[in-house]
This record gives sequence, structure tokens and C-alpha cells, in this order.
Amino acid sequence: MVKIANDFVVNVATANGTGSQSSNLILMQSMFEMGVPVSGKNLFPSNISGLPTWFIIRASDKGYQAPGDETNIQVLMNKDTWVEDLEKLSPGAIVVYNQDVKLPVDREDCTLLGMPMTKMARAINPKLARLMANMYYVGALAHLLEIDDSAIEKSLNAQFKGKEKAIEMNTRAINEGKEYAAENWSFVCDYCVESREKDTDSFLIEGNEAVALGCIFGGVSMLSWYPITPSSSLAEAIIGWLPELREDTDGSSTCAVIQAEDELAAVGMVIGAGWAGGRGMTCTSGPGISLMSEFIGLAYFSEVPGVIWDVNRVGPSTGLPTRTQQGDLTLLYEASHGDTQHIVLIPGNVDECFEFGWRGFDYAERYQTMVFGFSDLDLGMNRWVTSGFEYPDQPMDRGKVIRTQDDLDAMPEYGRYRDLDGDGIAYRTLPGSGLEPILYRGTGHDEDGVYSEDPRVYREAMLRLKKKINGSRETLPPPIIREEEVKEIGILYYGSMENSIVEIDDLLEETGLSVSTCRVRALPLHPEIEDFIERHDKCIVLEINRDGQLYGILRKEIPINLVEKLHSVAFSDGMPPRASVYAEMVMDKLQED
Amino acid sequence: MAVMKLNVIDLEKSEYTGGKSSLCPGCGHDQISNVIIQAAWENGISPEGIAKMSGIGCSSKTPAYFLGKSHGFNTVHGRMPSVTTGANMVNKDLSFIAVSGDGDTASIGIGQFIHAIRRNLDMVYIIENNGVYGLTKGQYSATVEKGSKKKKGTANKQAPIDLCAMAINLGCSFVARSFSGSKKQLTTLMRAAMSHRGMAVIDIISPCVTFANNDESYRSYNYVKENDEVLHILDYIPHFSPLEEVDVPEGEFEEISLFDGSTLRIETVGPDHDPSDAVSALGAIHEAEKGKRHVTGLLYYDSEVPTATDSLALTETPLVSLGEDMLRPSEEKLQGVNEALRGN
Repeated sequence: MVKIANDFVVNVATANGTGSQSSNLILMQSMFEMGVPVSGKNLFPSNISGLPTWFIIRASDKGYQAPGDETNIQVLMNKDTWVEDLEKLSPGAIVVYNQDVKLPVDREDCTLLGMPMTKMARAINPKLARLMANMYYVGALAHLLEIDDSAIEKSLNAQFKGKEKAIEMNTRAINEGKEYAAENWSFVCDYCVESREKDTDSFLIEGNEAVALGCIFGGVSMLSWYPITPSSSLAEAIIGWLPELREDTDGSSTCAVIQAEDELAAVGMVIGAGWAGGRGMTCTSGPGISLMSEFIGLAYFSEVPGVIWDVNRVGPSTGLPTRTQQGDLTLLYEASHGDTQHIVLIPGNVDECFEFGWRGFDYAERYQTMVFGFSDLDLGMNRWVTSGFEYPDQPMDRGKVIRTQDDLDAMPEYGRYRDLDGDGIAYRTLPGSGLEPILYRGTGHDEDGVYSEDPRVYREAMLRLKKKINGSRETLPPPIIREEEVKEIGILYYGSMENSIVEIDDLLEETGLSVSTCRVRALPLHPEIEDFIERHDKCIVLEINRDGQLYGILRKEIPINLVEKLHSVAFSDGMPPRASVYAEMVMDKLQED
Repeated sequence: MAVMKLNVIDLEKSEYTGGKSSLCPGCGHDQISNVIIQAAWENGISPEGIAKMSGIGCSSKTPAYFLGKSHGFNTVHGRMPSVTTGANMVNKDLSFIAVSGDGDTASIGIGQFIHAIRRNLDMVYIIENNGVYGLTKGQYSATVEKGSKKKKGTANKQAPIDLCAMAINLGCSFVARSFSGSKKQLTTLMRAAMSHRGMAVIDIISPCVTFANNDESYRSYNYVKENDEVLHILDYIPHFSPLEEVDVPEGEFEEISLFDGSTLRIETVGPDHDPSDAVSALGAIHEAEKGKRHVTGLLYYDSEVPTATDSLALTETPLVSLGEDMLRPSEEKLQGVNEALRGN
């Protein structure tokens, strides 16, 4: 029999808080160690312990990272979802289940492989049996899928770094699982993991940690934050890395961290730090952005730099706190009352999470405004591959700051809000410098920063702000364009949709379509995006939300004659984007015309 | 030409003044602005080292009217403390003088006020407390006493929030109450607050001449003058001029040493009160409230509380003054991170 190598989906159903995350990560990591392109999606509940959790591992030589349409191997550990999980399976699926749950496994059309996992775990350590039972399915799958012992060993050691006792017990559990499967199951699995040449530089990392490292290398000097899923691990990663990366020789820190009383205070602190000349940041999710909105308008209008990372979860309201979405894009772009417009950086992979982490501060200080990083739960809290982060290729851009009396004297026309260079960006002086002090304010102000309600002064100030932000378009990260010779269909997309786009593209091209893609990486829109639309017969804007938020922004900003080329495909159910769902919706949309 | 008087750093008082006030003539807030100017000048604080902070409201407009040589930030309603916190984190050498009102602090901003105290943020937090919202035409605020009545409308029926009592309960390191009309007492307390390191709250009764200066208002000029229970006679003795003339005769006083080496000399004249005793301070506040009076003076003081930046062990140099070499780790460091993440 010819086995299907590196092309399958494993779904592990467990209960939250049973330690299954370690088992799942060891499984995924060991396939990664064998050089196999693999992705993992942790579908967890908003709960500390007890509610159902699924972990989906997809191995794919083609590099597909979206969750697959079908589960090939189902692991059943959780009695609460046992029946539904079984019902969902297609005929022919393989079911590895914990016999000790003692529930019926009524699927004659599937391969049913039971193991008394809890009982065996109890023999190792009765107190830890509930946790240890999860290691038996690692052993079972290692047997079925022919995963290398050395890969398992390396992954297990990395998972329980230095905890000798844990390593010893869990190794035993995995081995016992493997032996049990070999002795009791005569079944030969159709699927296997086959070694590929591994890029020895590569590793897996969560998007949130990549952003955290980027911010540290971007010189963040103040982090204020308020815990909220799914952004807390971003702040905690910064806190975790600071001692190693940002301590002076005497052990003093070059970055202040404050856990704020709420998101309003967190963003207020960012603005205070930026106003004083520091590099302040916070990270949050949609509910936090809603709360911060008034302050964001202050930063925009009084022109104070700062960085906010939004790790998007499902809204509106409290929504689905542990599920993913691209539902905050419009909110970020136009946050706060009145006319506003903000710079939004949109990474699509962990390398960009790192890069935009440090670049965010440069843009914020260059344009003296609030800059958003826009990630989501899928990118932020799942592990993705990188070959290692690249060091910033340019020095920190501190923007137009006058630091000496001589520099000020050379600028006789100076006014805090006077556009001396014609680019809409005025010069600023810092508190403590004694240079041309002003009272910053969120009220109307003239070019010298003095209170004003003069209609002309207000309008000119607003037009200058527009000019300033518009001026950023060409300096922000340009779109990533993959273009076919025949420019039939152009797909515009952004952020974590990157993980599904290759598969979507393949599915569409299988129907004979010629499909180019354009990944938008920042707002306001780069001019190349308009050119891409112009070159293609039809364009689809693909996004993970209900209303087509980027589509709305594009319609507003591109020339009217191009608008008719644009079509929206927007879908969100909280799950990471499944390629077939979007590909079908694109086909339907194309057939509408 | 008249010889202008100079302070200890050779500056004229005019170096500490600001723009023309747009508040109502006779507003208590303008008197407080004058006291801030006087205190900063007398203390010889360099204007460029001061940061003026405020929220929204009549009181929060006043930073435009004093210390024109200092940077300032008129922020959003009730959330000045967080902006001050961020600025303080990155530049702990700035002297923060913040002005807020009773609406800005006791209602919309009460959360941030509380947490700034918890952190012992190094700032002077001035509350210009008139019991009403002025800019929106005279609604009651949350600090107004039960039974107090403004010019129009019915008497206030809800219990007040006493911001000094709250601050003391939260462990605030410097808590004082004064009256905008008591220039000497207020100036002395203001100077002491500026010499303090940590959160110095001064709750100042500041009559609103437009909406609440009628005699039934507990914060009218006439009412406060007749019902002010002064705790102490106070003298501020600056560290640079120990021989300055003082009102309190030697031998009959207590002395409090302030952070910058200056001294606050205290002679008790009112009810027996020890500013290091929180219970006695709270007692004095509650007794005064019962008698519909205002107790003024230094209510509570504790020099031992670490400030917000003390607890973080930041570099001696303020973070804003660090260069790229300190803020951005080296390329070797990044290689080390990559290697660690590879599991090597």
C-alpha cells in the first residue's frame, strides 16, 4: 500500500485545563522537527477549566495552513463532545479514543482504535493521571503516523525544558502508548509523516511573541496594558524578554511596564509617554479599542505618537472572546469621534509581526500620531514558522523633534503646528527642554498651539492632518503582489488570511481561472493597490468579517471608475478561515455577474 | 528703573506667569493660579522642568494662565492621571503640577485618581473644588455636601465624596485641604507639596462666583470664611534659605522634613491633630462634616511610600534621554534570541 505522506488533518478533542496543550504542541512540534510543513489551531473556550477544546493539526507538503475541510484522524478524550465529534466524521476516518471514558463509539464506517489511557496513566502517577492520559494519544499517533522517536524526544524536552521528572514520566507515557498501539492494533494507517529536508534555521513561534520581540527591538520605553484575551500574551512576552534584552549592566530597566486599571488608562499612559518623548505602547483587543477611542482622537488632534496593537477577537461586544476575526479594521482606521484617520500596520506572518513591531514606533514618531498594529487571535496565539527574525535595517526614526536652542533658532517661523516643510508634519519640542513650550490640548488650536475657535484655523488644521497622514501612503509597507500573466481575477486580502490564500488560490485555479493576489499590509492604502485593481478584470476583496470592511474602505478611496471592478467576499464564524468556504464564495460571487 | 526681585535661581516672578484668564471675574480658580505662580517662584523651581497637566473643566483650563514657560497638557475629561503616569514613566525628572476639578476628579475621573494614588505617582494633584460643573452651567458635582444649595434649584440630596478622606484611606503620601481665599495657608501648603516626592493631593475649596456663591452654598466665600476650621499655623522653610522669616515661634512646633530638604513647620491651633496619624486625620474630617464645617491644613503626610518609578527600578537616566544604543538591543542579541527559539 502506498501511504499518503504529509497530507492529513488530526483533530484532538479534549477538555480545557487538562494539560492537553502540551501533548498537542509536542505532536505538532515533532512533525515540524521532521521538516514537514505543519500548522496548528487551538480552538479553546473562554473558560479556565472544563469546557471543550479542540486542537487541529494539519500536515501539508503543499504548505497549506488553513484548517482542512475534513478530519482524517480524530482523537476523542472529552466525554462532553464525544457524540458530536463522532457524528461529524466522514466515513473512513480513524478514531483514536480513550476507552476509560466508557462511552459508545458507534461508527462502524470508521476505524475505531481504543486505548485505556487513564488507567495506564494511573499506573505511572495516580494524582496526575488526568493530565498524563493525554500523552498516550501522542504515543498512539506516533505509532500510526510513524513519527521519529528522536523528533518526539526533542519536542518533549523543549516542552518541559529542564523539568527532569516531567520529562521522565511523559516519555514513559508516550512509549507505553506507542507499545500498546503496536501490540493491540493490527490496523495499518493510510497516512504517515515522512521526513523532509528541514531548514535548520526555522522555528515555530506565536504571533504575539513575535510582535513583543519586535517592539523590544523597536526601543519601546513604556508598556501599559490591561489584560484581555487574546492580547495578554503579547504584553506578557514583552515582560518575559525584558530582563534579558533591556536591562542595563547594573540591572536597571530601560522600559517601564505598568498594568493599568483599564484600557482608558492604558492608552492615556501611551499618550503621556509619547508626549514626553518616549516610545509608549499598549496592546489590547476590540473591546479595549472601543474604550480607548476618545483618547485616540486626542493623540490624532494634538499629534502625539504612540503604538497600539489590536489582537482582534470576535465582536461585537464581548463576542466570542477566544475566536478569531478581522472585525476591527474600520474601527482602527477611523477610531474616535470627528474626522480622524490612523495608520494601521497589518502583518500576515510572524516575520512581519516582528518587523511591524519595531517599525510601528518609527511611523508613530515620524508622523506624530497613533499607529495601530493589527493582528488577530489566529495569528497571535497560534504557532507559525519563521527562519529567524531579521535585525532592523535602519536606525530608529525619532521624527521631527527640536532638541537644542540652536536648532530652534535656525527655525524663525517655528510654531508647534506650523507646516514648515510642506509635508504636513510640524516640528515638536519636548517637555523638560524649555524650548518653545506650549499647552497641548484636544481643543481647537492655531499653528502656535494657542486655543482657537476660528473657522479658518480649524479647517486648515484638519486639512493639514489629512495631508500628513496621506503622505504616509508611500512609506508604509507596500502590498505583496503575486501576479499572473493573464490578469483575470485579482484577490485583495490582508492579515492572517495569508495562511489560507495559497490553498484558496489553488482551488480557484483548478477551475481554470487565472488568479492574482494582492496582500494589503497597511492603511492608508498604498498607491500600488489601486494599480493592481486597475490591471485586473475583476477584483475580490476577501476578508474574515461580515460586512467587508476593507471593501468599504477601498470603495471610498479608489477612483469611482474602478469601484465597479470590486466585489466583496466576507465571511466570519469565529473559525480560522477554511479555504474551501472562501473559494466557493468567490465562485458564487463571480457567477452573480 | 525699579529693581525686580529675583528668586533663588535668579528669575523674576514674571517668568512664572501665564496667559490671561478667561474665567469669571472673582473665580477662586484664578486665586489658585496666582498661588501656583507664587509657590513655584518662591521655591525656585526651574519653569522648564515643570509639566502642567489637566483634564477638562473650568479648573483644567487654568494651566494656560500660569507657568507659560512650562510645557503642559490639557488632556481629556477625568483622565489626566494616566497621561501624567505615562509621562512620568519616561521622564521621572519632570515636576508634575496637575490641576483638576471636583467633576473631573470625583465623578468621571475617580478611577484614575484612585489608581494614581495607589501608585504614589510623583505629582502635585490640585483639586479646585467648587461643588458644581461650571462650563455646563451649574450642575451639582459629587463632592457637594448634603443640604448645600447653589444659586438656583433645590438643595443637594446625595452624600458627598470627600476626596481627602478617600486619599488618606488609599495611603496617599501627602493630603491637604485649603481654601482659595486663604492665600498664606494655601501658598505654604503648595510650596510643601512641590517639595514632596510622591503624590501630593491638595483639595482646595474654590467658590464658583457664578453658580454657587450664595450663602446657602457650603462653598461660598462667606460660608467658608465663617466655617473654616484651621488645623495649624504653617511655615515653609526652604532648603536654600533656612533663615526666612517665620510665623511660628521657636519651641512650640513640630517640623516635617520634605524630600528636597525644605521644612514644613507646624503649630497646632485647631483640634489636636498629628499629620502622621491617618485615623486622627479621618476623625477631623468627619467631625468637621458633622458640624457642616471645612477642616483645612495638612491632614496627612507619610514620607516613606515608594513612588511609581521607585518600584520599577528604571535607569537613573530618564528613559527619554536614552539613546538608540540603550533602547535597541544589539544584532548579536537578536541572533541569541533566534538561537534560543530554535532550541539551540
